[in-house]
Amino acid sequence: MNKNIYINSIKQISAQPPLTDEWFDNPVFYNEQYIRATDADYKQYFSPLEARRLGKILKRALLTSREAMQESGVQNPDAIITGTGLGCIENTEIFLDKLVREGEELLNPTHFMNSTHNTISSLVAIDAKCHGYNSTYAHKGISFECALQDAFLQMQSGKIGTALVGAHDEMTPAYFTLLKKAGYLGVENQVFAGETALAMMLSTEKTEKSLCKIENVEKFYGDISQYAIRDTQIDHIMVGVNGNAATDKIYYENCKKLFPNIPLLQYKNIFGESYTAPAFGVYAAALCLKKEKIPNQLRIKNYELRIEEKKTNKILIYNHFENKNHTFVLLSHNF
Amino acid sequence: MDKIIISGMGIVSAIGNNVPETLQSLRENRSGIAPLRYLQTAHTEFPVGEVKMSNEEMIESLQIPKNQPTARTSLMGMLAVREALENAGIKLNAFQKRVAFINGTTVGGMDKSEQFYLDFIENDTKNAYISTHDCGACTEMIADYFGIFSQVDTISTACSSAANAILLGAELLKSRRADIVVAGGAECITKFHLNGFNTLKILDTKPCRPFDATRAGLNLGEGAAYIVMQRCEYRDVRDERPQSQICLSGYANTCDAFHQTASSPNGEGAYLAMKKVLENAGLQPADIDYINAHGTGTGNNDLSEGAAIERLFGTEKPPVSSTKSFTGHTTSASGGVEAVISILALQNNFLPANLNFKNKIEELNFEPIFKYSNIHIQNVLSNSFGFGGNDTSLIFSKI
Repeated sequence: MNKNIYINSIKQISAQPPLTDEWFDNPVFYNEQYIRATDADYKQYFSPLEARRLGKILKRALLTSREAMQESGVQNPDAIITGTGLGCIENTEIFLDKLVREGEELLNPTHFMNSTHNTISSLVAIDAKCHGYNSTYAHKGISFECALQDAFLQMQSGKIGTALVGAHDEMTPAYFTLLKKAGYLGVENQVFAGETALAMMLSTEKTEKSLCKIENVEKFYGDISQYAIRDTQIDHIMVGVNGNAATDKIYYENCKKLFPNIPLLQYKNIFGESYTAPAFGVYAAALCLKKEKIPNQLRIKNYELRIEEKKTNKILIYNHFENKNHTFVLLSHNF
Repeated sequence: MDKIIISGMGIVSAIGNNVPETLQSLRENRSGIAPLRYLQTAHTEFPVGEVKMSNEEMIESLQIPKNQPTARTSLMGMLAVREALENAGIKLNAFQKRVAFINGTTVGGMDKSEQFYLDFIENDTKNAYISTHDCGACTEMIADYFGIFSQVDTISTACSSAANAILLGAELLKSRRADIVVAGGAECITKFHLNGFNTLKILDTKPCRPFDATRAGLNLGEGAAYIVMQRCEYRDVRDERPQSQICLSGYANTCDAFHQTASSPNGEGAYLAMKKVLENAGLQPADIDYINAHGTGTGNNDLSEGAAIERLFGTEKPPVSSTKSFTGHTTSASGGVEAVISILALQNNFLPANLNFKNKIEELNFEPIFKYSNIHIQNVLSNSFGFGGNDTSLIFSKI
């Protein structure tokens, strides 16, 4: 017997104002190729020692997690699961840079200790004293959906009742330069390269604050021609278009083929591109469902289908990475 | 409840390039820990458990193009997955089932990044390797070599990555999201984590001595190992060879939630993982015939894990050994390497030795088994504990 699964809170730190949903009404737009997240005032939340010891990604992860837990009223989730494409890349880079330039003798253990991908999930667990399920997914542009699917499956089968699911990626100037060379970021006409820090609390219990219900999380590798949509009531599809013509084309083609006549929405123009950016797609869709409104900045200009002004009950978030990985998250307002 | 059966496995590690060689090394108490041979590093004082093949030899065996940018982690992964699929009798084009590949890795393509780091920044002649750096890229390089996978996942929970991959595989099978799962992990030795472990002062300059009072750290190892898992009903996709007699009967993941790199003194996370895995399998402590311990050989791990074993098993404590004395600590791959060793022990009814043991740890009331022995066993518990207190336990059983 499958359980209902709800998103009960979401907190984010990104290029938009931190820890609020302000972007929904007053989004900040950028023309740069690369924007670091707008950090919260960490002095309010961390001791000077803690603030120094923890890298950006860890401070953001701790803070968004604490706030998401607080908002949902769940202080001890049954599971803590993180998706991160690159993990703690800043500390990795510092350790690697010293290793390569200065040799193998004078390295600092703190940089190594804070360099692994699972540092994030485990730090959140230490902070919240959670001995439950704890895992980390690091699979490029679908890392967040991997984490979300893990939580979803365990909740459906009744193994767990609550899960804190996080999406965390930082982007250093040096790594931005490398990923630009690799053709992933900084492509002509592409949205800015951003950073992701987002934590959401999932629960099998509905509350007053519940944003939406998660109907399904599906992932495919390679061929998606077999994907058969079983739900014909989708009102909008939130896609990861980012201005890169080559990858945007895949979204438009697949949506036309798989979901003809359903209007598309976007989110990367607001939150930028990063490996775990699809978490913002889920966040934006959840907020649209909760507020029963679709703000103009999420609409895709010049897209051939006009959005009808009717109540939005279901939004599908479709993400692809390099046309190899395809993920589908279906959210609904019906609860 | 669906039974998850193990229909095949593949392995490369310091003690062999395939399953038969691994079994022979275990039977002959032959450790693979030796002076550094392949990795270029200043730290030649540390013995390691390297896979006894160069990248070129792996590329040759796999018959992949020499100029294809591929990390050593992926090369080892391809070798082990190839054996696992052959071992399971799965024909690559024989059916239209949903086959998931779940890979555990942490350093991923760091071997190439540390080699070409300055070139990436200054010369731009090796930029193809920028995209092979991350964990997911390593997984996809392995998956794409076979071209049969309809879902891929990469788990990165440090030294419990492969065990968590196996755990997720079971969930995907039970929820019917996949019909066949290939799960495990791969990790090559890099200067990056050799130096990282060195800064933490947890590497031994001598062969490691898990659960010994004189233990002074771990030996870094490398390898790749995967198991093929199916629900019982999917036995029919295999060819005519005898059916598997081994199943994954339990799995549990907990968090020590104590420290980023140290285990709690009473081994709370380890205790909870072992307690929950017994509950998950519906077994009592007395049902476990052998524990393949995480047993890294560091002062902290072995004491903490030992304390957890004593707390949970009390006087019913089964034989314990750490086979990291054979393979070294294969980090993200260790959950896969030790799953294969646990399954070999069940299939062949033996207990692998904990090599190099001489002196009992004063604080613990047990010694590991230090001699190979033949004995009938039914249930094996395998522990994989990672940095950050990511503790996972698996139980493999005869059907």
